[in-house]
Amino acid sequence: MPPEKLAPLDPVIHSRTRLAVLSILISVKEASFNYLKETIGTTDGNLSVSLSKLEEAGYISIKKAFKGKKPLTTCRINEKGTKAFSEYLKALESYIEFKE
Amino acid sequence: MNKVQADEEFKFIREMIDRTRKITAGSWMFFLIWGIVAILGIGGMYALVFVEKYSWIWLNWIVFVGIGVVFSIVYGKRIERLKGARTYANIATSHVCFACGIAFLLVGFIFPFLKLYSWGLIAILISLVAGIMVFSLGGIYEWKLLKWCGVLWWLGALGMVFIHENYRALLFIPLMLIGYIMPALVLRSMYKKQSEEDAS
Repeated sequence: MPPEKLAPLDPVIHSRTRLAVLSILISVKEASFNYLKETIGTTDGNLSVSLSKLEEAGYISIKKAFKGKKPLTTCRINEKGTKAFSEYLKALESYIEFKE
Repeated sequence: MNKVQADEEFKFIREMIDRTRKITAGSWMFFLIWGIVAILGIGGMYALVFVEKYSWIWLNWIVFVGIGVVFSIVYGKRIERLKGARTYANIATSHVCFACGIAFLLVGFIFPFLKLYSWGLIAILISLVAGIMVFSLGGIYEWKLLKWCGVLWWLGALGMVFIHENYRALLFIPLMLIGYIMPALVLRSMYKKQSEEDAS
């Protein structure tokens, strides 16, 4: 396969934290902000920025609510996000299969 | 990006997905408690049949099922709060357990109470439903041991047909211990091992 035929990697997903968020959300129905933070092992600020970018791209939806007096932010992946993640995996595969 | 980097990305994605699997491990407590409730309920029922206090059987079930329900609600809320995520496996598990719980109630209490069949059939029908539940959970968690426990329940149900109804409990209790309590304890040890690994 010529190098120019390699599938481009989605720049929205191509970041460690955003890729981690989508990898987790693809396997759960929904996840809280704290769960994502602890599972990925990142900071509040970094995760907030990553979630905002994914939401802007329409890949995830974020719901903000209150559980008792505590704020609860939950995220879930959208259809567009699922499709983008699947295409990202296909693109990664093309890099693995590529023979120089 | 080169091949090595792409490989690393795949490993990273797999690692993240694997971390979400840990959420399901805490389900052992529900499994164990409902097993104990069923053993005590069946044991109590047979004891009441033995002393010919048939009219108290419903009270026996209401007490044990009530304890199970209260525990499930309280513990379920606590776990939900701690987990912070809902996996599809957890959703499927709760639906399977709820559906089989209703079936247990119908075949173990309501139908015999309505005199659709004799009390002696309860252990056979409960074993059938337990087989469906345990086998389905084995499929959801991709755990072969649990699937075999499901098969064991069905074989036990078949075996009970050839045993006099007064002695079916003798087969039912070991079935419960091997096909239900044992996998719950294995789940518990897996969960504890995982927690220790996470802590270290």
